Amino acid sequence: MALVSTDTKIAEYLTELHQLIKQTQEERSRSEHNLLNIQKTHERMQTENKTSPYYRTKLRGLYTTAKADAEAECSILRHALDKIAEIKSLLEERRIAAKMAGVYSDSDPPRKTMRRGVLMTLLQQSAMTLPLWIGKPGESPPPLCGAIPASSDYVAKPGDKVAARVKAVDGDEQWILAEVVSYSHSTNKRHTLSRRRIIPLPQWKANPETDPEALFSKDHLVLALYPQTTCFYRALIHTPPHRPQDDYSVLFEDTSYADGYSPPLNVAQRYVVACKENKKK
Amino acid sequence: MADPAAQASPQPRLQQNQASMTAGSNASSGSGSGSGSGNSDPARPGLSQQQRASQKKAQVRAFPRAKKLEKLGVFSACKANDTCKCNGWKNPHPPTATRLDLQQQAASLSEPCRSCGHALAEHVSHLENVSEEEINRLLGMVVDVENLFMSVHKEEDTDTKQVYFYLFKLLRKCILQMSKPVVEGSLGSPPFEKPNIEQGVLNFVQYKFSHLAPKERQTMVELSKMFLLCLNYWKLETPSQFRQRSQKDDSTAYKVNYTRWLCYCHIPQCNDSLPRCETTQVFGRSLLKSIFTVTRRQLLEKFRTEKDKLLPEKRTLILTHFPKFLSMLEEEIYGENSPIWDADFTMPASEGGQIGHQTAVISPASVSGTPSFTKNSSSTCSLGSASLDTGVSEPMPGEKRRLPEALTLEDAKRIRVMGDIPMELVNEVMMTITDPAAMLGPETSLLSANAARDETARLEERRGIIEFHVIGNSLSQKSNKRILMWLVGLQNVFSHQLPRMPKEYITRLVFDPKHKTLALIKDGRVIGGICFRMFPTQGFTEIVFCAVTSNEQVKGYGTHLMNHLKEYHIKHGILYFLTYADEYAIGYFKKQGFSKDIKVPKSRYLGYIKDYEGATLMECELNPRIPYTELSHIIKRQKEIIKKLIERKQSQIRKVYPGLTCFKEGVRQIPVESIPGIREAGWKPGGRDKCSKELKDPDLLYNILKNLLAQIKTHPDAWPFMEPVKKAEAPDYYEIIRFPIDLKTMTERLKNRYYVTKKLFIADLQRVITNCREYNPPDSEYCKCANTLEKFFYFKLKESGLIDK
Repeated sequence: MALVSTDTKIAEYLTELHQLIKQTQEERSRSEHNLLNIQKTHERMQTENKTSPYYRTKLRGLYTTAKADAEAECSILRHALDKIAEIKSLLEERRIAAKMAGVYSDSDPPRKTMRRGVLMTLLQQSAMTLPLWIGKPGESPPPLCGAIPASSDYVAKPGDKVAARVKAVDGDEQWILAEVVSYSHSTNKRHTLSRRRIIPLPQWKANPETDPEALFSKDHLVLALYPQTTCFYRALIHTPPHRPQDDYSVLFEDTSYADGYSPPLNVAQRYVVACKENKKK
Repeated sequence: MADPAAQASPQPRLQQNQASMTAGSNASSGSGSGSGSGNSDPARPGLSQQQRASQKKAQVRAFPRAKKLEKLGVFSACKANDTCKCNGWKNPHPPTATRLDLQQQAASLSEPCRSCGHALAEHVSHLENVSEEEINRLLGMVVDVENLFMSVHKEEDTDTKQVYFYLFKLLRKCILQMSKPVVEGSLGSPPFEKPNIEQGVLNFVQYKFSHLAPKERQTMVELSKMFLLCLNYWKLETPSQFRQRSQKDDSTAYKVNYTRWLCYCHIPQCNDSLPRCETTQVFGRSLLKSIFTVTRRQLLEKFRTEKDKLLPEKRTLILTHFPKFLSMLEEEIYGENSPIWDADFTMPASEGGQIGHQTAVISPASVSGTPSFTKNSSSTCSLGSASLDTGVSEPMPGEKRRLPEALTLEDAKRIRVMGDIPMELVNEVMMTITDPAAMLGPETSLLSANAARDETARLEERRGIIEFHVIGNSLSQKSNKRILMWLVGLQNVFSHQLPRMPKEYITRLVFDPKHKTLALIKDGRVIGGICFRMFPTQGFTEIVFCAVTSNEQVKGYGTHLMNHLKEYHIKHGILYFLTYADEYAIGYFKKQGFSKDIKVPKSRYLGYIKDYEGATLMECELNPRIPYTELSHIIKRQKEIIKKLIERKQSQIRKVYPGLTCFKEGVRQIPVESIPGIREAGWKPGGRDKCSKELKDPDLLYNILKNLLAQIKTHPDAWPFMEPVKKAEAPDYYEIIRFPIDLKTMTERLKNRYYVTKKLFIADLQRVITNCREYNPPDSEYCKCANTLEKFFYFKLKESGLIDK
């Protein structure tokens, strides 16, 4: 029942999103027109070779309109991004609900265990579709954007992906990729861990072009998900991403290599977190 | 043959022809030609150049006999006496002004040669009784030689220049000896590859478009003809351009093809003394592979810039359909397993039938102005001074598998099962699941969770992201540097992924010339591989190392690697793989169709295969009729077809039965035939009872039991049953238990061939458990072990097919 209503809601949101995208196009063509005007005015001024008060006022007016247009377009785009986030969170809610109820959707028939390759693809997709944080001018990126850690009192929500420090069968401690089921309720068979042992994963990608401060810099010690696994290992940042869709290039600590580090490997922003402990072992 | 002096002399004579000969070397310059219709059709300079050559020939052939002899004398050796080495009469009064050919008097036969002093008659004595026809043929060659001479001088590209020079010498020799020119050396003779490009492209049209409506299909046929026509007149890029662009090592192969193309296709276009072949008829996939990307870009660019000159109806055809057509063709050219290149490609008969080959070949006029045969040959002189004879026999770096797809198609036709679904129905269903739109749509990078394990790898290979090569070291010939680099890469991957193997040992085997390795290459680097040793005399191959680098795992590469290895072995006629798998590898090998049940007799592999302590011998039998790299894809398609067939059947049989309820009431099993409606749906009893048949082969049973027992003994809960119970530990044991048995005793019995039937074996196993339960209290440690062990061995018995599931 709940699932059906989610479906209609998603459909509704998608229609709204569709309209928003159309509006963007309208808005864009409007500003296009204005920008063209500005350009023409500049050209005319160039040919006349003087800046008369007439042009000055005209230009000021044009630029004000252009700015307003750009802001309007920007706000529509932000609105669209919010819609996408809402749709994503609805899908996520539905997934959690389905998992709790033990129901499978038609698209993925019940399998006792997901094949590892499929899980890896899902993880990559999740990293790829992690939203990019787009701040307003002057706004600094929030916690959980890129390298910025969660605030000290942050409590992970159910469904959040985290790096969790757990004891493996052989007694060794390991950082693994985990999903929060609930907080402070002990559930059977699942791991219950203190909050200290949890590092929430970023919920936005940081844009290297606008918010480079929200990225780990070269040689920073981090925990990164080893490619094609679900374990986090200590690594040094080799190169931070250059563009929003780029990955970090990291050097994993690996004693099987002569210099103690693996060759550079790519890890998505989603799976790189600050390394808390610095103790030597 | 062609000493500098001999070359120098014709030069002044040729000057008047220079303008018309410029194009001989560079088809792009249509300018500067003064004669005839040379410039009327800028898009087809090839033709006009040809016209110029034939015009010139006609002109020369219309000369009076005396003048003809003078012209031939220039290229004929002096026969005054045996000692005269002069190989061509040189006019003592070279004409100074241009355009004098026609007016100038023919030199008299007594005129002495400027170089040897003997009369012209001495040079042409051999032509006295030669027919006019032959004289004319020789004169044609003379014109061509003159043209070639200009080409040699005009050409800037070293490779091309060499070929022009070679042909120049060849034609001169032919005039001297009055023979027919034959290109010698190791170029081989046309056709160079089969099937040729034309056949491949026609196959492609059939393969991809035979389901379309006749009109659309005709469009595709037209496009293909146009493409072929363009290719026949297209100027290929020079080897040095190719090297700069591709950076691949196959530039040697390209150079050979380029030389062939110059000699057999391009130069003969305007040089009819040489036999001419059409590019698309003598070359095959390999040439197309090396030129396609560039040619496509140039073609499309050309069409774009000249779109205004196109006829309106052609414009839509070319601008909308052609790019798509070329993209689809590209996939088949570079795709590993494209069937269109099979020598015996046949299309399963569909209702559309064969595409008519009778459609008139598009004449050059009908695509007027569209194809351009020019290409800027601004070439850079670089590298190589290799002669025509080099590079052919260079060992190919890796053998690429060709899929025996034709085989599967044939088989599909040959084997008709009684009562099978009619082919028409299958074809009809095929139509509904092959959505042509899906084929052209954007490629989705997000695969569904149900995609086959090797689906990603297969796609990546098709797109050229990953490559597979069988490589190995050789002591007899110097290995290619790239191969050595790959071998080092493989050694690194193996030693890193198999830390328990000594590095020196890995190095020794990877570089051993008897071992080969199937290497998986991504971005030019080795990311995985399977090292193997073939024993053709023993009929099996040992798999020695198998690994994929850790950060590229779980992507289906391992499966795709093994499938490639299987196809490679089918090609080489070896149908068994044997390997010692360590505990971590057993899972992988099982997924690849390996089993612990060894069918190869021990005598065949004992002493050949490397034995490893603590590893399990596994075997995989190959079926030569299975195209392994495509298997999961084929099965997926078959599933889709069957699903559709079931849907059809369901829509025909309208009756709906209530579901079975007996299972809820606790019934475990019911006979299949008692399910209501199952007979009406076409189910027939029988055919299933073969499974439980007793294994006939005693060796086979022995091997299965041996494996089984070994696994049971290594089970963590088997420890209480390993040896006979000691009287000292349980004094009354032998009073209570009348038939004691343990795993050690069972091993001995097995060795002594006591277990001639599985029944005996299972009975003993069961007794191990019942004895334990009889002697020990049910909640004891021993009984717990017995419980888990019992579950385990029943599972194993089922798995090995000894008992029914």
